[in-house]
Amino acid sequence: MDTVIDQLPKSVDAAAALPACVNGLPNFEFPSIDTPSAFLRAFTDDASNPDVPIKPQHGTTTLAFKFQGGIIVAVDSRASAGSWIASQKVKKVLEINPFMLGTMAGGAADCQFWERWLGSQCRLYELRNKKRISVSAASKILANVTYHYKGSGLSMGTMVCGYSEKNNTLEPEIYYVDSDGSRVAGQLFSVGSGQTFAYGVLDQGYDYNLSVEDALTLGKRAIIAATHRDAYSGNSCNLYHLKPTGWVYHGNYDAAAEIWRLKEAEGSFNDIRTK
Amino acid sequence: MSRFNPYGDSSGGSSLAIAGADFAILAGDTRHSTGFSIDSRDQSQIADLGDGLFLTSNGFSADAKQLVDDLRTQIKWYHHNNNDHKLSISAAARTTMMLLYGKRFFPYYVNPIMIGMADDGTGAVYSFDPLGSYDREPSRAAGHASELLMPFLDNQVTFANQLDPQTGEPRKRLDLDLQTAVDLVKDAFTGAAERQVQVGDTLEIVILTKDGVDRQYYDLRRD
Amino acid sequence: MDILLGIRTQNEVLLITSRSLARGISVLKSDDVKVLECNKHTALAFSGEPGDTTNFVEFIRANVRLYGFQNKQELTTHAVASYARKELATSLRSRKPYQVNILVAGHNGTPELHWIDYLGTNVTLPYAAHGYASYYVLSTLDRWWTETLTLEEGLELARKCIDELEKRMPIDFKGCNIHVVDQNGVRLHE
Repeated sequence: MDTVIDQLPKSVDAAAALPACVNGLPNFEFPSIDTPSAFLRAFTDDASNPDVPIKPQHGTTTLAFKFQGGIIVAVDSRASAGSWIASQKVKKVLEINPFMLGTMAGGAADCQFWERWLGSQCRLYELRNKKRISVSAASKILANVTYHYKGSGLSMGTMVCGYSEKNNTLEPEIYYVDSDGSRVAGQLFSVGSGQTFAYGVLDQGYDYNLSVEDALTLGKRAIIAATHRDAYSGNSCNLYHLKPTGWVYHGNYDAAAEIWRLKEAEGSFNDIRTK
Repeated sequence: MSRFNPYGDSSGGSSLAIAGADFAILAGDTRHSTGFSIDSRDQSQIADLGDGLFLTSNGFSADAKQLVDDLRTQIKWYHHNNNDHKLSISAAARTTMMLLYGKRFFPYYVNPIMIGMADDGTGAVYSFDPLGSYDREPSRAAGHASELLMPFLDNQVTFANQLDPQTGEPRKRLDLDLQTAVDLVKDAFTGAAERQVQVGDTLEIVILTKDGVDRQYYDLRRD
Repeated sequence: MDILLGIRTQNEVLLITSRSLARGISVLKSDDVKVLECNKHTALAFSGEPGDTTNFVEFIRANVRLYGFQNKQELTTHAVASYARKELATSLRSRKPYQVNILVAGHNGTPELHWIDYLGTNVTLPYAAHGYASYYVLSTLDRWWTETLTLEEGLELARKCIDELEKRMPIDFKGCNIHVVDQNGVRLHE
């Protein structure tokens, strides 16, 4: 799929159907009842009731960490609706612009919509101010939105990653933003149903001075660990490396094949017995 | 106290789409039912949006119809505002997302699939979740028989987890030729009609190529 | 939630258990031992409903010892695990089931580890964990556990797991006890 930046200036296409805007935010339709959020929960929250008719796509492992060579971002690619695997190759890294990446955990539509919207806000900032927006400011725009809609049913856990100019040098930054309205800067995060499994490998293998190659390997390995233990994560791993010059995509790796390869190469995954 | 419930269970059966190198197929059965009662055996669920775009939306029929109306309105205004410029499928897909996400807090109960020819001449299938999350895919099934159709497509279109018996290497996804794809669609639906009560009667297939639109009909079980 | 973790190494089994004992909003004890020597070469690590836990494992121990006295033949680790599982499965179908999860570690010529939950599931595993701790350390063990670990390497891996739990678990579990079960029996390592 095209990046947001590719789509925006190309033609009038992208602006084809923006709903009427109020204060720069789309104008949402709410049901005219006392408790719209209870209504939404009753019909779409498959965590509290597996028989809801509308099942948004869920479930994820995503991670990002800073190191000597920049930032590594790695994610899985499974989307589930209840126990049904709705998609096997979701793109959970959203390319906000050539210098900034956002990750997707929680509701697929919420992340996809708001991070694309964030992409256009960042582009508008560039046009207005003749300079790139900082990761700190961009993540704050997103956190302001999630805080505005707090309690109404949004579900997202995202990491906004990129380089920002700080006293004339470019510095890597990662901000965790979620639908509670939290916004936290940090060195290393993992988000989603498989986060604990990713942490279990990431924390124990992490070192700030890792080489780029080793850091990419560790990011991928942590995602594979999560796909092995968390049923809601799986299918494949997408890998990115953020540098001061922008992000570089490092490919898609099939989780099923990776596990056998790693078992052989590392002598790991000894819970899988072969005879 | 009665709970607010704006959703019903009247719906079309199932739909299925396959994208090829130079074609796109969208198929759906013509059975329409409410619960276990059959309302109609000849209700098309494929909407012609104009500009070479076709859409099915399984889920709740009334919401599906509303979505199609919304999309038609959007396309009409797009033509008025842009000198009848043809709406590309990538933009139509984004528009669909905006319409669906605009109702994030009062969702349409629909799982739409859209087909068209992409700007580079390849066949395109876009699928959506009820809240507007979308992606371009090689194939997709939705509706009552999606859990029967999707594994069949994984096996026959994507060749998931299959090795080439000659080389022992994973089988590559070949771009299907049109006839094979149409045959697959027919087989998929005959199979689905065999096991899913809401699917049957007639299969309607819309085939999109650079030469235009072709519609085919194929009989399914009518019981 | 208590931490219960077992790691089988080449010649022994390690049992890692948290030292905190909390009731309500207070920590009552920070040197609690959640491991019981069942017979000379078999240890039980346990967690679950307060009261049920000690009652259940002491009952198992009493009967395992009784069997040893009466038959002049100690039950093997495998037999202890099967017996404990049967008791839990029977209890599950009673009016007030035991809510106890256990790990059975033993050494009868070779080291052996069983994971048993309150529903009566018994699995023999190379490494195992109960409760929330499993969400953090299973991936660590998937990555670094091998069939040929020495005691030193096993302890190093155990420390890796404890380090991860100290880093990520939101509660202070007051450190961990490591019990070693080898051919000489059961001993507290640290």
